[in-house]
Parts: sequence; structure tokens; C-alpha cells
Amino acid sequence: MHLIRDVLDKQLVDRQDCNMGRASGLIVHLGESTQPRLTHVVIGGPALWMRIHPSLGKLSTKLARLWGPKRKEPVKIPWSRVKTVGKDLKLDVDAKESGALDWELWIARHIIERIPGGGSEEEE
Amino acid sequence: MKKILQLTLGIVTSVGGFLEIGSVTTAAQAGARFGYQLLWVILLGTVCLIFLIEMAGRLAAVSKHTIVDAMRERFGFPFFFFVLIGMVIVAFLVLVAELGGIAFALQILTGIRFPWWALPVSLLVWLLMWKGTFSLIENGASLLGLVTISFVVAAFKLGPDWSSVGASLVPTLPDSDKANYGFIAVSILGASISPYLMYFYSSGAIEDKWDRSYIPMNRIIAGSGMTFGGFLSMAVLVAAALALRPKGLQVDTFPQAALLMTTALPRWGFYLFALSMLFACFGAALEISLAIAYFFAQGFGWNWSEDLQPSQDARFAFVYTIIILLAAVPLMLRVDPIKVTMVSMALTSATLPLAIVPFLFLMNDPLYLGKHRNGWISNTVVAIVILLSFVLAVISIPLQIIGG
Amino acid sequence: MDINIELLLGTKVCDANGEKVGRIEEFRVEDDGNSCRIEAYLIGTSALIQRLSAWTLVRPIQRALRSRKLYSVFEVRWQDMDLSDPKQPRLRISGKDLRHAR
Repeated sequence: MHLIRDVLDKQLVDRQDCNMGRASGLIVHLGESTQPRLTHVVIGGPALWMRIHPSLGKLSTKLARLWGPKRKEPVKIPWSRVKTVGKDLKLDVDAKESGALDWELWIARHIIERIPGGGSEEEE
Repeated sequence: MKKILQLTLGIVTSVGGFLEIGSVTTAAQAGARFGYQLLWVILLGTVCLIFLIEMAGRLAAVSKHTIVDAMRERFGFPFFFFVLIGMVIVAFLVLVAELGGIAFALQILTGIRFPWWALPVSLLVWLLMWKGTFSLIENGASLLGLVTISFVVAAFKLGPDWSSVGASLVPTLPDSDKANYGFIAVSILGASISPYLMYFYSSGAIEDKWDRSYIPMNRIIAGSGMTFGGFLSMAVLVAAALALRPKGLQVDTFPQAALLMTTALPRWGFYLFALSMLFACFGAALEISLAIAYFFAQGFGWNWSEDLQPSQDARFAFVYTIIILLAAVPLMLRVDPIKVTMVSMALTSATLPLAIVPFLFLMNDPLYLGKHRNGWISNTVVAIVILLSFVLAVISIPLQIIGG
Repeated sequence: MDINIELLLGTKVCDANGEKVGRIEEFRVEDDGNSCRIEAYLIGTSALIQRLSAWTLVRPIQRALRSRKLYSVFEVRWQDMDLSDPKQPRLRISGKDLRHAR
């Protein structure tokens, strides 16, 4: 398997095939003399903007703490939760519980559901 | 039967490509200024679009990925973000132009000036996306867009010399005013080969749940849909050549374009022109708004579908809401939609390589397409389109300044 | 030390003698179900072509030019890569000892 071609930027889906975002970053643990090990998949957030420029990553971190769901840390999914690597990465998690949908839920509750016809979570 | 009904996806895509305000304005200008001489450019644009749209549909049907999905995965986020910026700027300007086209059509029908229509029109477009489903938009826009067949009726009624029309399908150059000729040629190609059509079509194929069994039907849909649009665009040019050129009339303002219909159909032409532009621009506005929202949602991996309630794909709904409302602002400030159209078409041409070059890679990727990868004919066409797109990218802005 | 491995993409790599070898374009991993470990780093322009799945396009050009250079994909075993400074990856071996990837 190749990390960049087969994992990075791939669509992540949860147990119910709900879209969770894309694999924006991959955290690898480097030991002194041990083989580097992929530990987490990072979703969205500063990891994404760091790939364009470090200053954008820092700006993204600051903004994420100021508004919206105000996450202090980016969403990291342990690699052990990745069940299959194919067209998408299927994860053995629930999208809402993982925090991957925090922005989606925040926008739904604070903006979309306040507009008539926007629907609500309870209607699902 | 269900597959045949998918023809509406082809029709609605082609309406957005060939019969929106940019295409009608440039085709009318082309006919008024140069007679039939620029028909070959519309033919060229149609052929290129048939191939590009077929490929977009094939990619979606085989890989179950849209173009944007595949672009993000294969080329990474930095490249995707760069394309996103270019695409959103250009598509936003085109959306402003389309909303302006709807507002202009209502101005013609009611006498109320277009800035007053800007907000109601954008709210109507938004409402249809908010409450509607993909098939409602797809089928509704296609059916309403059929009123544009009145352009064909007008062209036939004016009695063109068909041998001259046929001869003009071969490229020629005018004796004078080559800069303006070049500018209009570039504008026609920029108006027809619009990347947002490909993004919309491939997303529509996923919305309609295409699979490999749709591959043959996709060829028919892309071919007939784009041919329909190209044919209608040619009809506009022919009608303008016969109605406007003999009188020495140019198409500098939107109401002037109505003359190409009223000359052929004195009684109904005025209303048919206004209704044609109203429905065609409405379909185009829906298509572009969806294309922008699809681009964001697919690129960032959000939930997306026109068939979901807005709260179920909140970020997708938020993007099209913001985009549509922002697009009304320039019109409310009385910015001329025709001027916006001209700028947007030049910019579309200038940014075309960003969309087409990655497409060449994706259509040859065995991981996405397997044995359904491009053959040498499709690759040759894409290579020609890429070459064309680089030429357009270089000359479009200077021509806009010199010849526009 | 934990690093974001995608930030290594495109980073220039020098060998033990300080000579440039190429840029990191891909990471080959093995996932045995318990853990996913990096086996090798792929360096060179051809690794980029491989990552973009662009061989179908590049091979005809390469054949026409009769160039072998495009086939250079170096595979660096994880043991031979020093990532103590992730911004300046270095090989623990000389560039001449690198092997071509299959």
C-alpha cells in the first residue's frame, strides 16, 4: 500500500457510510530505532492548511478556537479504527461521536435549521 | 426506460453551457458582426464538449467518483485549493451574469428595471435548491429550457442560405477587424467549454446513481445533449446574422438581442425571447450554484446531495445559500450583467487549463477507470483541448482589451 | 516523536555525503492488521508519476524519447532514512548504494 496514493486525501466514511471528511493528515510515530508507525488519520483543520503554508495552519488553529464549534484539537482517528482501504476509507467509528461532524452540526443548528424548510436533526 | 429519461441530465447541462446569457450574447454578437463566419467555432466547442462531458460521465459511472473527488485524491489538497480558488471566482461571476440574465428578461417583460429583480430572482433560485430535489431541478430546467427551440424556429423562418451556413462550418478568417473576430471566437469557446459543466454533469451522474451499465447511455446523453445545445446556439447566430447584420445592428445591450427573435416572429418573438432567456438563465443559475457547492463539498469530503434535507448536508446547503445571495449584490448595485458576462468568459478561457490538464491524468488512471480508460481518440481530443485551452488562456485577456 | 508525514512530501533528501538524491514522493507501507508501518520511502520524479498514476501518459513519451532516466525511482528502506530533523531528511547511506524500486 502507498500512503499518499491510497490513504491521504481519501474520503472517510463511518459505520453507517456517512461522509466524515477526508484524510487531511497522517501522523507517524518515529522511534529512535524502531520502524516508523502510522498512528492516526487527521481530519480537516490545521493539518489541511499546513500543507499549503505553515502560517495558514497557525491561522486555522487560532480561528478554530474562536468561533464555530471551538475545537481545541483537530480530529484524530486512530489507525486501528480503519477497517478497509479502497475507494474510500471505511472507519469503525460513529461520525458524530468522533467529532468529525462538529462543524456540520454547528452550521446545521445555528444557521440551517433557523431557516424555514431547513429541516432538523430530530426529523431524520 | 429510466436510462432514456436521463437524457434530461444532458439537456440541462447543455442549456447551462450553450444557452445561458454568455453564449446567447456572444452568438448574437458573432452573427450581427460577422454573419455565419463564426459557426465553426460553435461546432468546435460542441465537439470538444461532447467528448469532455462523456468522459465526466464515464468517470462517475465506473469509479463512483466525481471529477472533484478524483482530483482531490490524486493531486492533493494544495493543487485542489488552487483550482478551487480559480473555479469559484469564475463561476461566481458567471452566476452573477445568469441572475442578471433572468433579471433582464423580467425587465423586458415587466418594464421594472433589473436591479429591483436581483434579490427576488436570487431568492427564487435559492428556494428551488433549498426545497427541490435533483430530479426536480434536472427535469424542470430541461423541460422549461425547451422553450429555447423558438430560436431554431426563428432561424428557419428567416430563410437562411443553407449552403452558406454549411460552408461556414469550415474555419475562415474575416478580411477586417480580426481582433474583434478573435475576441468573439475566444468568448464563444469560453462560454461553451465551461469547466463547471463537467463538474455538474459528473455530480449529476452520482446523484442519479449511475453505474457501469450507463456507459453506453452516457455516450448518447452527452452526444445528444451537447448537440442539442450547440444546434440551438448556432440557431441564435444564424438568426442574428439574418435579422441584425443587414441593418448594421450590434448587440451591445441585452434588449438588442431580442431583435433577432422579433424580426422573425413579430407577434410572439418578444415574449419568446424573454421567456427563452428567463428559463435558460434560470437553468444555468441552478447548474452553476450546484456546481460551486458540489466543488466545495466533494473537495472537502462533506455530505452532499440535492436529495437530502438542508440540515442533513448543512455545509453544502450553506455554501450555495451564501453564493446565491452574494451573487445578487453586484446586480443590486447596478453592475451591468453583459459586462460581467464578457469578463467571466475571458476568465473562463484563461483558467481552462486548470480544469482540463488534471482531467487528462484522471481519464487515464487505471485505478479509477480500469478497462474503461481513455482510448487514443479521446486522449487526442483532450490533448487538443488542452492545447486550445493554453492558447485561449494566453490570448483571452489581451483580446478582451484590444478586441472587446 | 510524532510527525505529520504528508508534510515530508516533496522534501529534498541528501545522502550521507551531503549530496542531493531527490525528493520524497511516496511512502510504501505494510499493514498487517495490527499496525501500519513504513517500509520504504520512494524518491525521484518517477515516484511522482507513479503516485499520479500517469504512466499510461508518460510511457509513450518516454519510449519516443528513448530515455531511461524517467524510470529512476529510488526506494529507501526505513532504516536508511534519518528523520531526526524532518525538515532536512538525510540518508544514512551514500546515494550510490540506493537501489531502484521495482
